[in-house]
Amino acid sequence: MASRKKVLLKVIILGDSGVGKTSLMNQYVAKKFSNQYKATIGADFLTKEVMVDDRLVTMQIWDTAGQERFQSLGVAFYRGADGCVLVFDVTMPNTFRSLDSWRDEFLIQASPRDPENFPFVVIGNKIDLENRAVSARRAQGWCHSKGDIPYFETSAKEAINVEQAFQAVAKNAMAQETDVELCSEFPDPIKLSGDNNKPRDSNCPC
Amino acid sequence: MDARRKYNISFDVLDLKSFKRSAPNHGWAYIIFILKDGTTYPALHFHNGGSKALLKELENFIHIRRSPNDPRLFLVKDHDPEQLSQSINELSLFTDSSGAYVQKFIKSPYTTTLGGFSKVTNFLRDVLMTPEDHHNLVRPQAEVAEILQDDIPGMEISQLDEPGFEMITKTKLPPRPTVKREDPLSSQQWNSFFDNEGHINRVEELKDIIFRGGVDPSIRSEVWKFLLGFYDWDSCSRKRQEQRKRKVDEYFRMKLQWKTISAEQERRFTLLKERRGLIDKDVMRTDRTHKFFAGDKNPNLQVLYDILMTYCMYNFDLGYVQGMSDILSPILVVMENEVDAFWCFAGAMERVCHNFEMDQNGMKVQLSQIHKLMQVQDPELCAYLEAHDSGNFYFCFRWILIVFKREFHFHEIQRLWEVIWTDRPCTNFHLIISLAILESEKSTLLENRFGFTEILKHINDISLSIPLEETLRKAEGIFLQLRDFKKLPNSIKEILGLLPSSDLPASQSMENSMFMGSSLTSSSSSSHQEAGSKVDTPTLMAGGGASASRGLSHSGSGGDLTKAGGAACSTNVARSVGVSARYGGGARQANGSGGGNGGAAGGMDDTHKVFT
Repeated sequence: MASRKKVLLKVIILGDSGVGKTSLMNQYVAKKFSNQYKATIGADFLTKEVMVDDRLVTMQIWDTAGQERFQSLGVAFYRGADGCVLVFDVTMPNTFRSLDSWRDEFLIQASPRDPENFPFVVIGNKIDLENRAVSARRAQGWCHSKGDIPYFETSAKEAINVEQAFQAVAKNAMAQETDVELCSEFPDPIKLSGDNNKPRDSNCPC
Repeated sequence: MDARRKYNISFDVLDLKSFKRSAPNHGWAYIIFILKDGTTYPALHFHNGGSKALLKELENFIHIRRSPNDPRLFLVKDHDPEQLSQSINELSLFTDSSGAYVQKFIKSPYTTTLGGFSKVTNFLRDVLMTPEDHHNLVRPQAEVAEILQDDIPGMEISQLDEPGFEMITKTKLPPRPTVKREDPLSSQQWNSFFDNEGHINRVEELKDIIFRGGVDPSIRSEVWKFLLGFYDWDSCSRKRQEQRKRKVDEYFRMKLQWKTISAEQERRFTLLKERRGLIDKDVMRTDRTHKFFAGDKNPNLQVLYDILMTYCMYNFDLGYVQGMSDILSPILVVMENEVDAFWCFAGAMERVCHNFEMDQNGMKVQLSQIHKLMQVQDPELCAYLEAHDSGNFYFCFRWILIVFKREFHFHEIQRLWEVIWTDRPCTNFHLIISLAILESEKSTLLENRFGFTEILKHINDISLSIPLEETLRKAEGIFLQLRDFKKLPNSIKEILGLLPSSDLPASQSMENSMFMGSSLTSSSSSSHQEAGSKVDTPTLMAGGGASASRGLSHSGSGGDLTKAGGAACSTNVARSVGVSARYGGGARQANGSGGGNGGAAGGMDDTHKVFT
């Protein structure tokens, strides 16, 4: 039996309040934008099936509250993350400056096995607005200094580059996933034949 | 919820996990689809029939069976390969609060009965380790033996579930009484409570009516002013006029404080600037679909903004935290007046300010209180949630933070809040409301074998489809069951305010007191006592035990809260104030001069609104 088990990638979106985390998630998953999203309270996620390198992958994208004091509870959702999208608003320099602490906090709380190479992606959102205040060069500089994190400039409102950014995090997360699989100490608990397309009456292996 | 999502349901049939049908003969048929990842769609209504045909069609692709426990719930049969790994997960239970006994159980080789096993361990853990024990897990050997031998309260040994294994399933609460809800307080009724001077007679009776049915929308703005401490319950019309005048002045004084900070100043005032930024963002996304806030450049957005900024000045320690705009919005819609809305908001915040503190301790305490309550009320569901990484009840976070604001429709949240603000039938009733909602979702969670993510998703998605009155009836029923349960642990009584104050250990009463929803003007309670007149308090459900006065302070700084109409809500738990055996004895408050039932609508005299 080939290792064809369904892959689930858990991706966390982090960033200051109001940078557009919920909008990015909804644009990516449901291809829609509304300026009536409410401030996120607690956490929620959406799932989307995507093809990454010819493999069908289910992305579970987590959206959390942006205000700092809610982080102590938000960390419960970081556990088991396969990728992380750091978002700032290109018109608000302070949201860019927060990226450091978002990244650090994530690495502390999620404690991935290889923090140096953890699949991050940075998104500078709201490029449709005119009052831009963080240059692409500055953002790229930061990303470079953190181990060449891929950087994307997006507009959730106008659906610019959103797909690409999430695709990148999925791809990088999958690359890690495969590495892990190869050196996995645990045997796969259950092997399934992939195409579960038809209902079966009683096929229970037990 | 987004309208498009509401009317456009699309999913892969293979992702379908279960669905719920409407009760037969209950109006239009509807179906609620629930997917494997917990996604729960809004009810799909069949105004012209066709639900059966659809399900028949579906049966061509999937096998459906009806839930044995919930006749409305249908489960899609699949051989669920995740089941085994899930039950293995159940073994890694209790990593955060493990005790020696539990560990032994977990490591026991009899792991084949995983489902029942987790129940046993949870049950025993509940019994052997009361919450206080968590830090000090070892009980004297003799004591354990004693507990095991004879008297585990409510332990029931069932041999039905799995042949060959005994299952300890549940504590037995008394049967749930049926509870009735009534009509809302009408304008006529309301007026009849006032005497010639505008005193309210029989305050407790009035609150009982509000608890039982809410308030008619036409008098909401007046009644809420009392519920939220804008006016004292024992005030007369003249005093209320003075109170109001003072509050208007005070509001504008505070508003001027932030209004007069120049841009230049603000550059060196990061904290204020940050708060302004947050408020700016949140005002633009608070209930914009409600007509009161709809449309670009709606002037009410400015009012929302001004009140939140002024609140930062009123309570600078707390400032602005996300969620506050959700608390304010229904209040502003009712008040339609900046000053009134501000003070009522401040009163509402007084009850929930601990939710918003920096360390989030208030939230953590309440989530763990839900856990404690459920251990007694529904050990089975509790064990399930624990076994599925949900024993922290994070999935209730939004419910608690903004008191269900996002879970109900606008008119419903106004009703729910006014019920909660009566402080009936017990302290922390909102936690019991959480239990009631979870009970309604129990079979969906259990029979779909939802795990951490699915539970969270499902709970998020049932927002705006929770039946309010039914939930309130259920919640009150649960309260009555708990209250009448002879072996109700003191820790639970404490959460519900059923302990006489003398029995409260000081350290724990602190934790508990922060959610008392102490009245905004605690100082008034002393005047109640001075007045000393006797009131006949209807014993709606007096829980026994002596009464305790509200506003009992526990520490030197505790008195802070009573100043200036409970001005600053402290950001320090230890400073919280107010322990009362609410509902305990009944004779808590003396109100007005008693007896008289003058029909004068004195309270309505000062309804002139100050629009700014």
